[in-house]
Amino acid sequence: MTAGGDTTLGRSMAGSDTKGARGSVPAASVRQIDGVPLNDVAPPRHSGRWIALILLLVLAGQMAVAVAGNPNFHWHVFAEYLFHRNVLRGVLWTLGLTVAAMSVAVVLAIALVVMRDSDNPILRGLSWLWVWFFRGTPIYTQLLFWGLFAVLFPVLSLSIPFGPELLTIETKRVITAMTAAILGLAFNESAYLTEIFRAGFRAIDRGQTEAAQAIGIPKAKIWARILLPQAMRTIIPPTGNETIGMLKMTSLVLAIPFTLDLMFATNAIANRLYLPVPLLMVAGFWYLVITSVLMVGQHYLERHFGKGHDAGAGQRA
Amino acid sequence: MTVASLTHTATNASHAGSASVEITGVHKFFGTVHALRGIDLTIRPGEVCVAIGPSGSGKSTLLRCINQLETISAGRIHLNGELQGYTDSGGRLHQLSPRRIAAQRRRTGMVFQRFNLFPHMTALQNVMEGPVQVRRIPRARAREQARALLDRVGLGGLGDRYPNQISGGQQQRVAIARALAMEPEVMLFDEPTSALDPELVGEVLDVIKDLVRTGMTMMLVTHEIGFAREIADHLVFMDQGAIVEEGRPREMLSQPKNPRTQAFLSKVL
Ligand SMILES: Nc1ncnc2c1ncn2[C@@H]1O[C@H](COP(=O)(O)OP(=O)(O)OP(=O)(O)O)[C@@H](O)[C@H]1O
Ligand SMILES: [Mg+2]
Repeated sequence: MTAGGDTTLGRSMAGSDTKGARGSVPAASVRQIDGVPLNDVAPPRHSGRWIALILLLVLAGQMAVAVAGNPNFHWHVFAEYLFHRNVLRGVLWTLGLTVAAMSVAVVLAIALVVMRDSDNPILRGLSWLWVWFFRGTPIYTQLLFWGLFAVLFPVLSLSIPFGPELLTIETKRVITAMTAAILGLAFNESAYLTEIFRAGFRAIDRGQTEAAQAIGIPKAKIWARILLPQAMRTIIPPTGNETIGMLKMTSLVLAIPFTLDLMFATNAIANRLYLPVPLLMVAGFWYLVITSVLMVGQHYLERHFGKGHDAGAGQRA
Repeated sequence: MTVASLTHTATNASHAGSASVEITGVHKFFGTVHALRGIDLTIRPGEVCVAIGPSGSGKSTLLRCINQLETISAGRIHLNGELQGYTDSGGRLHQLSPRRIAAQRRRTGMVFQRFNLFPHMTALQNVMEGPVQVRRIPRARAREQARALLDRVGLGGLGDRYPNQISGGQQQRVAIARALAMEPEVMLFDEPTSALDPELVGEVLDVIKDLVRTGMTMMLVTHEIGFAREIADHLVFMDQGAIVEEGRPREMLSQPKNPRTQAFLSKVL
């Protein structure tokens, strides 16, 4: 982009800004509510914002030129493989693994938090141990073990101790690479989510539980109907973080080995072509797309659970 | 005042309750803190018992013990002759199951100093929650009943507001409606107006006065001595975890016998 272009852009923008502000004065019909003419407030000028925007556009333009025109990026390869069958399959698997692992992790974490708060010291201890173990060991190591599970325990059997076996199955039928990937990711994640959820529940005033108890609501329903919906409000943003982290953590499932995810797919192509850069761009593009979709989901969840908090004082009569 | 529209026949939701409460030899320890020191108190059916006393004297703790939000360390509490929280087999107590305790709690309604409305539910949903989840009343009927109760406490039009969209006085009235929706046999109030701005106290007291007229058994903790004089059948003065003096409010407030009662009243009157 040339210097001349910049100034033209800047001038035309500043011009339309002032014109807009001045032009609105005579045209404005004064808004009324219940016959009360509301104050006509001129929109504040944000010259700083416009300057920042222009600078950013210039920078972005220069970067775009530097990247787009650079032969080292092999854009034709990028375009060729962006919608390649294996890549799209990888996108679906990565998204699927993320959603499945997070769902299992959320359910586990809720159970672990309730256990942690239980009167029963055995449940409390189990919950504590679970978090300690799965947070305390590297995820990659855990995934390796999940991969070896079928080797370490070739058959799973349910039996009465020292008595007859009731049920025997081959491990590799139950713990496939996919279930190993999902459980491996989910168990690890549940430990982190438990701490997030615990913080969310702790932030709720004790009076909420007491008010519910005073009405005679049984304990399980207090968790489900009174505490969980309130905790969601504080739990969702960090859980959104974790979900996006999980999206990228799915690339570690090659430790199992599970080889259908996005990162594995693009790496395989890159190795075949000896062209890592365009395929890294392909992977990056799709990770961003999935992240954006997840963020939209988060936005709606936040709105749903913000009821009674964010809707707020504005509507107060 | 909107609350003037309250009538006793308006709903079937609240005349359910006139149980007796018998408290005998109740002690409560928080660790080594001796919060209640041998409380004996009988509240007769339909009686309005008001507890006053300095801060830390154990008034809230006593209410919370009646409602089993605290477990008692010694003594017995009976509601209409039924031992609360335990079964007694020859002096040894066996704790009731959580279900049974929840069922006993339903029979007492509690109104808290800080309202404790559920912030993620509208006023109407707050009132409906107990009837739907605990009494398993069909939603449509519970909603109708909740509307009638909100009308009773003068909040007919505010059912769809969330707690943060209404004033403190209105929140406390919703909390009273929420407790009444369970058709309790005894209502317990723990300083229901002390978190309110002065100009909002009156509307809540009016609702309580109206309840008094329905002949419900009540125990109320308050710092509003004038209000206590007006509604109480039975006034209790507590200090340092014990009941120091009790009797008819008029006599007790004008001629307190115990020097500690005298000292307290001279400060607050
Ligand atoms: N959960 C608790 N743990 C330890 N001590 C407690 C607890 N709850 C109450 N206490 C103590 O028990 C005593 C009685 O407290 P309580 O709240 O019943 O007083 P109160 O008469 O209601 O006072 P106020 O008028 O300030 O509300 C106080 O000494 C208080 O510090
Ligand atoms: Mg108190």
